[in-house]
Amino acid sequence: MSIFTPTNQIRLTNVAVVRMKRAGKRFEIACYKNKVVGWRSGVEKDLDEVLQTHSVFVNVSKGQVAKKEDLISAFGTDDQTEICKQILTKGEVQVSDKERHTQLEQMFRDIATIVADKCVNPETKRPYTVILIERAMKDIHYSVKPNKSTKQQALEVIKQLKEKMKIERAHMRLRFILPVNEGKKLKEKLKPLIKVIESEDYGQQLDIVCLIDPGCFREIDELVKKETKGKGSLEVLSLKDVEEGDEKLE
Amino acid sequence: MVLNSLDKMIQLQKNTANIRNICVLAHVDHGKTTLADCLISSNGIISSRLAGKLRYMDSREDEQVRGITMKSSAISLHYAKGEEEYLINLIDSPGHVDFSSEVSTAVRICDGCIIVVDAVEGVCPQTQAVLRQAWLENIRPVLVINKIDRLIVELKFTPQEAYSHLKNILEQINALTGALFTSKVLEERAERETESQVNPNSEQGEQVYDWSTGLEDTDDSHLYFSPDQGNVVFTSAIDGWGFGIEHFAEIYSQKIGIKKEVLLKTLWGDYYINTKAKKIMKVDQAKGKKPLFVQLILENIWSLYDAVLKKDKEKIDKIVTSLGLKIGAREARHSDPKVQINAICSQWLPISQAVLAMVCQKLPSPLDITAERVEKLMCAGSQTFDSLPPETQALKAAFMKCGSEDTAPVIIFVSKMFAVDAKALPQNKQRPLTQEEIAERHERARRRHAEKLAAAQGQAPLEPTQDGSALETSPQGEELKGDEQEVESETPKPVPQEGTDREAFIAFARVFSGVARRGKKIFVLGPKYSPLEFLQRVPLGFSAPLDDLPPVPHMACCTLENLYLLMGRELEDLEKVPPGNVLGIGGLQDFVLKSATLSTLPSCPPFIPLNFEATPIVRVAVEPKHPSEMPQLVRGMKLLNQADPCVQILIQETGEHVLVTAGEVHLQRCLDDLKERFAKIQISVSEPIIPFRETITKPPTVDMVNEEIGKQQKVAVIHQTKEDQNRIPEGIQVYSGGLITMTTPNKLATLSVRAMPLPEEVTQILEENSDVIRSMEQLISSLNEGKNTQMIHQKTQEKIWEFKGKLEQHLTGRKWRNTVDQIWSFGPRKCGPNILVNKSKDFQNSVWTGPDGKASKEASRYRDLGNSIVSGFQLATLSGPMCEEPLMGVCFVLEEWDLSKFEDQTASDKQNQEQSDLVKEGQGEGETCSGRDEHQDLQGGCSEPSEKKASQKGESSLTDCYGPFSGQLIATMKEACRYALQVKPQRLMAAMYTCDIMATSDVLGRVYAVLSKREGRVLQEEMKEGTDMFIIKAVLPVAESFGFADEIRKRTSGLASPQLIFSHWEIIPSDPFWVPTTEEEYLHFGEKADSENQARKYMNAVRKRKGLYVEEKIVEHAEKQRTLSKNK
Repeated sequence: MSIFTPTNQIRLTNVAVVRMKRAGKRFEIACYKNKVVGWRSGVEKDLDEVLQTHSVFVNVSKGQVAKKEDLISAFGTDDQTEICKQILTKGEVQVSDKERHTQLEQMFRDIATIVADKCVNPETKRPYTVILIERAMKDIHYSVKPNKSTKQQALEVIKQLKEKMKIERAHMRLRFILPVNEGKKLKEKLKPLIKVIESEDYGQQLDIVCLIDPGCFREIDELVKKETKGKGSLEVLSLKDVEEGDEKLE
Repeated sequence: MVLNSLDKMIQLQKNTANIRNICVLAHVDHGKTTLADCLISSNGIISSRLAGKLRYMDSREDEQVRGITMKSSAISLHYAKGEEEYLINLIDSPGHVDFSSEVSTAVRICDGCIIVVDAVEGVCPQTQAVLRQAWLENIRPVLVINKIDRLIVELKFTPQEAYSHLKNILEQINALTGALFTSKVLEERAERETESQVNPNSEQGEQVYDWSTGLEDTDDSHLYFSPDQGNVVFTSAIDGWGFGIEHFAEIYSQKIGIKKEVLLKTLWGDYYINTKAKKIMKVDQAKGKKPLFVQLILENIWSLYDAVLKKDKEKIDKIVTSLGLKIGAREARHSDPKVQINAICSQWLPISQAVLAMVCQKLPSPLDITAERVEKLMCAGSQTFDSLPPETQALKAAFMKCGSEDTAPVIIFVSKMFAVDAKALPQNKQRPLTQEEIAERHERARRRHAEKLAAAQGQAPLEPTQDGSALETSPQGEELKGDEQEVESETPKPVPQEGTDREAFIAFARVFSGVARRGKKIFVLGPKYSPLEFLQRVPLGFSAPLDDLPPVPHMACCTLENLYLLMGRELEDLEKVPPGNVLGIGGLQDFVLKSATLSTLPSCPPFIPLNFEATPIVRVAVEPKHPSEMPQLVRGMKLLNQADPCVQILIQETGEHVLVTAGEVHLQRCLDDLKERFAKIQISVSEPIIPFRETITKPPTVDMVNEEIGKQQKVAVIHQTKEDQNRIPEGIQVYSGGLITMTTPNKLATLSVRAMPLPEEVTQILEENSDVIRSMEQLISSLNEGKNTQMIHQKTQEKIWEFKGKLEQHLTGRKWRNTVDQIWSFGPRKCGPNILVNKSKDFQNSVWTGPDGKASKEASRYRDLGNSIVSGFQLATLSGPMCEEPLMGVCFVLEEWDLSKFEDQTASDKQNQEQSDLVKEGQGEGETCSGRDEHQDLQGGCSEPSEKKASQKGESSLTDCYGPFSGQLIATMKEACRYALQVKPQRLMAAMYTCDIMATSDVLGRVYAVLSKREGRVLQEEMKEGTDMFIIKAVLPVAESFGFADEIRKRTSGLASPQLIFSHWEIIPSDPFWVPTTEEEYLHFGEKADSENQARKYMNAVRKRKGLYVEEKIVEHAEKQRTLSKNK
């Protein structure tokens, strides 16, 4: 046994180890960095571009190859390539820097796209562009959480952006048709939830067209359902109240 | 030494006959601004030593830095010739192609122009362009051949060579003029021909038709430039000299004793002088005789340059004395020969004399405006002069007369608006204080001082008086300073009031008739105003005050607030401006956008719009660096739009602010303006977002190497991508023909959907008729509300049937049988170019029921559920599977829908409910309520589930772990549509521009090269009659158009100028998912085959932008990574 000194240690560079425990034993394979995720998602199809070598190890950094008996007992075969494939798809892997980076960036973009899709500039009723949202997200130092869904995070981002710039969720246009006698009572209750009432029509029934924040749709819906006992109805006229078409500035 | 006071100018303005409105036009760097400098220095506004270096007219910082003019600016000059005194309104214009719009604004308000040509470079592309512009505006040109000194100093030509070179240039220019002339004559003839074809009856009239080309008998000799006509001057603006033939003719007629008239005719051209006989003979080139021009003129100049450059003191002195000049000691001793030349020549042959004399002689005064030009100005578009109302026609006389009486109608044309720093306005300027003001200030200061003293004494009564005296002296100084500060702080007071818009807009205008007076009420007529409309709306003889006129579109009324004399960088206040003058008008920014016609008579037509040589085509998206600064940006862009005649600003549906400029230099200037003047924020500029559409096609019959599909042996593929591309999950059955069957998560309903490509014509019809579809949609929704059906307009009804007829016409064949009748909805947004067809048996809710007027209110079985399915379809068409872009030209066919299980369940629910007697009529109510919703909430999307919950208690039991049933239906429908698309060959559609390019024949090849490099396709190419210009029509993907204009200009050295207009959507033929599968394809494309695929490139770019998953390797080659770890 030699002494462990800086000169005689072999650094593993460009190696990503994929581990798997089976039958009480730990198996490892040596792969190239930044390639394992690509293999799993099916982008990389060439196995040789992923594996450094087709042999299965017990410990990659020490260079200890797994014994044949162990392999057979654990995998039921001694075909190293087959086992490598199994370990590749099922083993635990250290996500490397570039992989993590691209994943985060992708999520960041995704969040920005969702935000841009859901929100408008309240002054112009026009959406903001994704690039602008991305920049705003960087301005508020938003950090992406990889284990939370992008939609959830987008809602969070909107809340934070509101403090910095003029942004608002695009309003939903709703129409209520309510029976007259209950309508007035209900209207008072709905008022705090409604942003803008566009038209009101007292005919045989109370007909209201209004804009609401999409966040309180569920609340409104339940309210209407409960108060009118199913007699009143509401329709969604448009999901997003935004300006359509191009406009020439004049 | 300002020679001409303001009063003098005002005096001169009144004499219309002696006014010349001229502009200087030329190719970039041919010396327009230098020439203008020389002319300005003759008025003593700038020192003659600085002329040519100062570039007085370039007042912007970036103009000075870049050394090119970017805007047209005017200055009024005084010129005296003998008895006559002239006022010359000189407009300097930019030469760079990006700013040709500025040239247009200048040309419009001038009567004549000076075309400057570089003696070395000769005729350049912009020279052609400006000549054309001058020609189109019917203004008279004169020629200045500049930079003669370069022929001597740089090229070292002999006088003989220089002469032939100059002759060449002259010929080139005349050829251009000739071409313009011929094309005009030919055009006129063509027009006449079409006219005669249109109304052959008129031929019987008195008109006698002239079938000759008209070329032969139209006199064009007056058009050409020739020194003996006196409309050419040779100059060197940098050295400050210039001459016309006339000048020398005068000198030599005395010297040699030949008549001046003879000399005038012979000084230019191949004549030589026989000194013995004192006769002028025609020259024979072969004999080596020198033409007169060389012998008498050029050689003298050459010898002068020679002497000075060789520093031959004696010779210089000799020349100087013989010319009778006086050279200052300083110049004579100066070591730089340039200075000496300048000193000598500017006295000997002063450039301003030569040029201004020619201008005054050869160019027309405002009084001489031609009838032809007036008619042209007054007739916008295809109108002819005769078609204008009589009141308007009468105005022609006023134009021609250019009268300055008070009765004369005032007509002013504003050709552009320009922004000036509010500080520069005369009323805000710091002017010398009058005596009284000084006295008053003094008094005030003294009082304050006394107060202070008193206060100081109060505070420190114990201080010894000695200090008091010290105090008394020291604050004196302070007070003075304070006073000065006060002066500064008081004068700019009007500025902070305006606060938000520190930029004042001044209209660059010319009075064509009448006198513009301050405080006068005047109509502002926008470019689209029609006098006819006014006359119709306002009864004749209407004489109410101007303010309560009925509103007429494109017309406003305002007061002329401030009138200015434009003096280059300065502005001078004026009370009134007589006709024929160029002026600045303040306070119009709220009325005039870019250009307008001002008149006291509403019958005045707006002038024809400026014709711009370059249309804006360079598009960029502009955004603020900090998102919170959006309002500033929008305001700044509005100002920019007003200040620049050529820029366009668009706000797109995506929320992008797109700036469209004429070229890169123009863009740079606009951005600088935005950053530093108008918005004052940091901005970032990027390529605009390019939209795509997704569609499907018929499966191809041949593969990429044109082999029939199926016959080839498939290679054992390393990548089975083709198959698992569309990874269709379990639970979805795919039948032949791409029929997809999907079941909702709770297994109660099954949908079968097929996607089919629509024929191209049908897509087109759908696109064109989107408004018809929309009105149909409104109709249905109003019907469902139970409103009166009689509201339907007869017209819309007709339109709808016409639309349906068209669809039926194009959807023929077995596959499409009965399709039109079964159309259920259009998408996305209910009016897009995609169709949902319901082919199930018991379907009766097609879109046509609404206009049929028999919209049945009877409750169909699946009514409420139908909504969810349509919603699913809408969502699917809004964002396709490839890159979440909208679909186009796809027909989804709902072949079957099996809701029987759901039916059973509801039925059983019903029973339960009835038994339990919870809600008695709940069900019925619910049915009708939701029935009313039919078609209205197609877009209700995911919100609908809960709505259904509200109306149908019966459904409550269905809202199990999978959520409400209708939500499931929407999701299922959407997914089914997506999978149905994915089993078909998918294609991307790219937006296409049509691109018109004008190019001369010699750069045609390079135009084609640029086009093909950017995936463009040439549709046609034809030659313009009478010129050597080709007109090329091509299509170009929008995605490839960024930087296109710039590249094409660079490659063709500005000889070709493209114009881009969005035209249509076009399928990109390549499959974005294509990989080689057969042997031949491997041989041809290699293993990866990603070099060629345009569609994939676009698709991945969009997916990346949107943060969608892109099938791309993070690292291409595993072995080629950096293998050293960081800590070693």
